[in-house]
Amino acid sequence: MEITFAVILWAVRIAFLVLLYLFLIRAFRALHRSLSDEHIAVTARQVGLAALVVIRSHAGGPRVGERLPLRAVSSVGRDAGNDVVLNDEAASTKHAIVSFADGDWWLEDAGSTNGTLLNGSRIWDKERFHYGDEVAVGRIALRLERAQ
Amino acid sequence: MIRPRPVARLGELRLLVWVAAFTLAGYVAVVAAASGRFAWYEIVVPIAVLAIFGALHLFLASIGFRGDQLLLPISVGLTGIGFILVERLAPGLLLQQLSWLVIAAGAFCVTILIPRDLSVLARYKYTWALLGVVLLVSPLLPVVGREINGASIWVGVAGVVQFEPWEFVKIALVIFFAAYLEEYREVLSTPPRRLGPIPVPPIPYLLPIVGMWLVAMLVMVFEKDLGATLLFFGIFLAMLYLATGEPFYVVIGLLMLVAGGFVAYHAFAHVAARVDVWLAPFNSDLRFDQAYQLTQGLFSLANAGLLGAGLGNGMPEQIPVVWSDFVFDAFTEEVGFVGALALLAFYLVFVYRGMLIALRAPTTFLQLLAAGLSFIVAFQTLVIVAGNAKLIPLTGITLPFVAYGGSSLVTNFMLAAVLLRVSDITARVRR
Repeated sequence: MEITFAVILWAVRIAFLVLLYLFLIRAFRALHRSLSDEHIAVTARQVGLAALVVIRSHAGGPRVGERLPLRAVSSVGRDAGNDVVLNDEAASTKHAIVSFADGDWWLEDAGSTNGTLLNGSRIWDKERFHYGDEVAVGRIALRLERAQ
Repeated sequence: MIRPRPVARLGELRLLVWVAAFTLAGYVAVVAAASGRFAWYEIVVPIAVLAIFGALHLFLASIGFRGDQLLLPISVGLTGIGFILVERLAPGLLLQQLSWLVIAAGAFCVTILIPRDLSVLARYKYTWALLGVVLLVSPLLPVVGREINGASIWVGVAGVVQFEPWEFVKIALVIFFAAYLEEYREVLSTPPRRLGPIPVPPIPYLLPIVGMWLVAMLVMVFEKDLGATLLFFGIFLAMLYLATGEPFYVVIGLLMLVAGGFVAYHAFAHVAARVDVWLAPFNSDLRFDQAYQLTQGLFSLANAGLLGAGLGNGMPEQIPVVWSDFVFDAFTEEVGFVGALALLAFYLVFVYRGMLIALRAPTTFLQLLAAGLSFIVAFQTLVIVAGNAKLIPLTGITLPFVAYGGSSLVTNFMLAAVLLRVSDITARVRR
């Protein structure tokens, strides 16, 4: 009788420690899961749905080769509040809109002063924007590419 | 007001089941070891404690709370360990601690519901600062102040109720620091002149640091509370660094703290006594006198080993005031290195989670607030565990959630509630 009590007591003591660790394992797993979710969210924000790659620029503009991520609707312009900021004196504050709709990308001039060139010709309407197409604003030229 | 739609908080619920399991196991082990038998009616108290934990979960789910699901299980898990230790070390205080838990749970719910908009807190920052200072000096006032165990950090009405205002001061101060630093961080982080790598901000910008340092020193000298001094100044420096990213402020702050400590060591007997006890607790003059508590704690730790003596099987009651000052040593003695590591891992998860909440928070004020509150828990744990292990001079800081104490429990639950509120705001903004 005495021995059984001692054995059960030790079993409960060890159970306490084991349960403590089982709880901690689950807590750490929850922590880890939220961290990897966060990582995915951050990567998605950086990669974007597609990207405009800088192919021609000038000293004050974006670096050639830089990838500027696009959202479903991205504004392009000189103002820092735009999704794609183009530091060029020929760019208007809000210059153009790149959007994704009906399975395609579209490019639209947002009433800019100096105009937007798509593959070398100025656009007046909402134009289909294919991967590999080039858009030029002032001295800066960008190419639409798939997200990596 | 729109009627809130309840949400399922399954992750939280699953973790709470494990909290219930280990709390019951630990409590049963302690009671059985003390009484020599298993009596099922003994588990009424832990069941009541667990019911309160469950009620908090249901409360969050019923108001459609979308904040973090890990923080509540971790907090109540630590509280569960705290109840096991109160039953083990001071069974007479168990019901008192249970009633404090009810108050703490109430404070938790109130903090979750009001203020509706946390940013409002920032608008009344000088009110918080004033409240903090009033609470800080209240133990020195003639009628309500109490000196207990050599520290004048208590306020109370004789025999009725007493509490440590310091516990509430920390939250008020973190709110104040967060609001203040949000407003002035640009001024503080872009000093106009530099001397080599050292930024030289104009004198007016250094005033808050000097002011905080003076208050911290006053607390050390007049309230004889080293822990509060360290925590107070530590929070301030950490938040200043977070807001400005300027290590210079931390360096100058630490130098001022060391200088102040050095002067206090030579000028004030109670500061010198703490340091002497820490340096040589086994000195024959101190061993059975001022260092008695610390040396008994060290014997307790030495008795621990890898797996400990077994819950209810050690002799932690040989340490004076073990239930509030030396819970870490008591816990370690009975569950060993393995258990102590688990306890520290709880705090690690809490602080890590708190810092993540801070990183994700949408505004600077909320970021600083969440980081400051997490830092309180981290710093308190470090200072008291290191104090118990004789790594630094012992201070009267409580081990968050675990140590016996009403004001500490209430404040910690409020602290967790504010962190949860920040994570809820983040979840709603991000959607």
